[in-house]
Amino acid sequence: MRKLWVITVFGLLLVGSVVAQGHAGTPIKLGVVAPLSGPGTSYGLGIKQGAEMAVDEINKAGGVAGRQIQLVVVDDASNPGQSVTAMQRLVSQEAVDLVIGGWGSSQVLANMEVSERAGVPYIIVGATNPKITTTKNKWTFRVIQTDSVQAKEVATVGVQVLGLKRIAVLNDSNDYGVGNRDAFLAAMEELKQKPVELQAYNTADKDFTAQLTRIKAATPDGLAIFGTIPGAPAIMNQARDLGLTARFIGTGGLANENLITLAPKASAGTVLTTLFHEDVDAEGKAWAERYTKLYSGGAQPARPVLAAWEYRTVRFVARPCLEKAETDKAKLRECLASWKGTVFGVPTEVYFDQTGQLVQESVLVEVKDGTFAAYKRK
Amino acid sequence: MLWQIVVGGIATGCIYAVVGLGFTLVYRTLRMVNFAQGHVFMAGTFLGLLLATRGHLPALPLLVAVALGAFGVGLMLDRWVFRRLYHDHVVFVVGTIGLGIVLQNAVRLFFPEPVPFPKVFGERVVALGSARFQVSYVWVVVLTVLLVALLHVLFTYTRAGRAMRAVAADPEIAGTVGVRVSQAIGQTFGLSFAVAAVAGVLIGPLYFVSFDMGDMVGLKAFCAAVLGGINSIPGTIAGGILLGLLEALAAGYVSSAYKDLVAFALLILMLAVRPSGILGYETPVKV
Repeated sequence: MRKLWVITVFGLLLVGSVVAQGHAGTPIKLGVVAPLSGPGTSYGLGIKQGAEMAVDEINKAGGVAGRQIQLVVVDDASNPGQSVTAMQRLVSQEAVDLVIGGWGSSQVLANMEVSERAGVPYIIVGATNPKITTTKNKWTFRVIQTDSVQAKEVATVGVQVLGLKRIAVLNDSNDYGVGNRDAFLAAMEELKQKPVELQAYNTADKDFTAQLTRIKAATPDGLAIFGTIPGAPAIMNQARDLGLTARFIGTGGLANENLITLAPKASAGTVLTTLFHEDVDAEGKAWAERYTKLYSGGAQPARPVLAAWEYRTVRFVARPCLEKAETDKAKLRECLASWKGTVFGVPTEVYFDQTGQLVQESVLVEVKDGTFAAYKRK
Repeated sequence: MLWQIVVGGIATGCIYAVVGLGFTLVYRTLRMVNFAQGHVFMAGTFLGLLLATRGHLPALPLLVAVALGAFGVGLMLDRWVFRRLYHDHVVFVVGTIGLGIVLQNAVRLFFPEPVPFPKVFGERVVALGSARFQVSYVWVVVLTVLLVALLHVLFTYTRAGRAMRAVAADPEIAGTVGVRVSQAIGQTFGLSFAVAAVAGVLIGPLYFVSFDMGDMVGLKAFCAAVLGGINSIPGTIAGGILLGLLEALAAGYVSSAYKDLVAFALLILMLAVRPSGILGYETPVKV
């Protein structure tokens, strides 16, 4: 009698485990790590919304290879230590098949080690430090441009198009700010110009009087700000209060609608490289309208600039590869490495180079009349 | 440039001084440190934010409303929470750290990212020689002076103030001569919460406010209090202003990235050389 019991239980377990592995039923798990609290919240919210929008659309259209996508979003509070914990949760407890997200160079440099060790493909949409995509990363890819490209672009525009002759630099002392500053200085050297003043600040700083006073004393006609919200708008406000009239230039960290909300008057005229602008093509414009309709009217305004890359990555980059490879991580990685195609908002075809970096043209915008307006190089 | 930095340093110093006062008041009465002080400062800012944006209160009524609100909260917390904690220093310290965490996360639920504070003191930019700064800086200094004067009047001429001083000096004897000791302790807490909250409203219009702004300010205010003498009110004020000035000067002339180092370096120095602070005193205890 006892033997029968054991066999029955064993048999049930066996059958149960086979049934549980049935592919047609189980969802594909997509992980997103983003800041949903702390200074990076406004960026993280866009990333989360972009992911939700893309996953909803894919699931409604039948999913991927007959399977639904399950989205798992984890908050890293804009903190590198917590970002590592968040990524560990995604990779171990939630056992996601793919991670698309990541904001903040310091956070991503930390959390990508977890995904590399675990062998989970990770596509980054919100960190620009060049150290992230090198020949060492096997499982990590990135769709937004690095600082080396963005800072160089901004330096070229500043010197050759805006005609700035005395540029000062104020950068955050974290990986993002320092990466940008170094790339900018290298580009400036090629353009045969030296910055008139170099100052740094800590991410959590609120008062920039000391730095701005030194910068003002150097009488610049341009100020390159390499930082994110809320430092950048605070710097702009305080600079204008101090009587500094220099033109502001910057890179992707400034590409956030909150820049204009928090510094409505001071940010006017800023020229920066952004991640998305709806005027680049009609499809981009249509998407932006759909997205804004879906996500406005809530407690937070819609953030198309950050949602755009997350959406495009899920929809146009990850989806075709998930169709081919499903949850086989090695096959997924191979598919991503050889992926190429066109996405809206980028004028040319794009592909990942051998360091996992997506090669593309920059998009420049200027802050005009309270919004980001497309900026022509000529 | 020097003038610009000095004015900024004095204004920040006033904030450290006022928040530091909260530490001093509680320490004098209980010989314990309330580590929630920085987070109370932050909560006061958000209370001010709500009252200013929803209630459209102008500057002075806003300050009074926030001060009264915080005083009430301080009284309540003493009655329901602190009273059970101050039989033991360690228990009290951990309890206040916990309170700080609760306050921080409660605010974080509703305000996860930095928000601007309404310019209740006006938007004018004042020029003093070659230095230019927002009119809010002037208000910070003026209102700090006013606050200190008010506190002086409270402690010297009012009954409640004298009761608090008596309890701070020796609660046992104070009780013997008819002072309601528990009431005085409660009022001390209320007062320390009120001054922190007022500091929060003063600093609000200068920078964006966020749920984590209490950490650094609380720590530096604590350093200011230790620097000036944690059992001396004029000492804390002097310590706060001195700290603000030194920090601003270091940021301007040495290195802006290491600004925070100044406060903590001074703290270590003071504790090593003169633990009772610049104007503090050691109260000898007879064994």
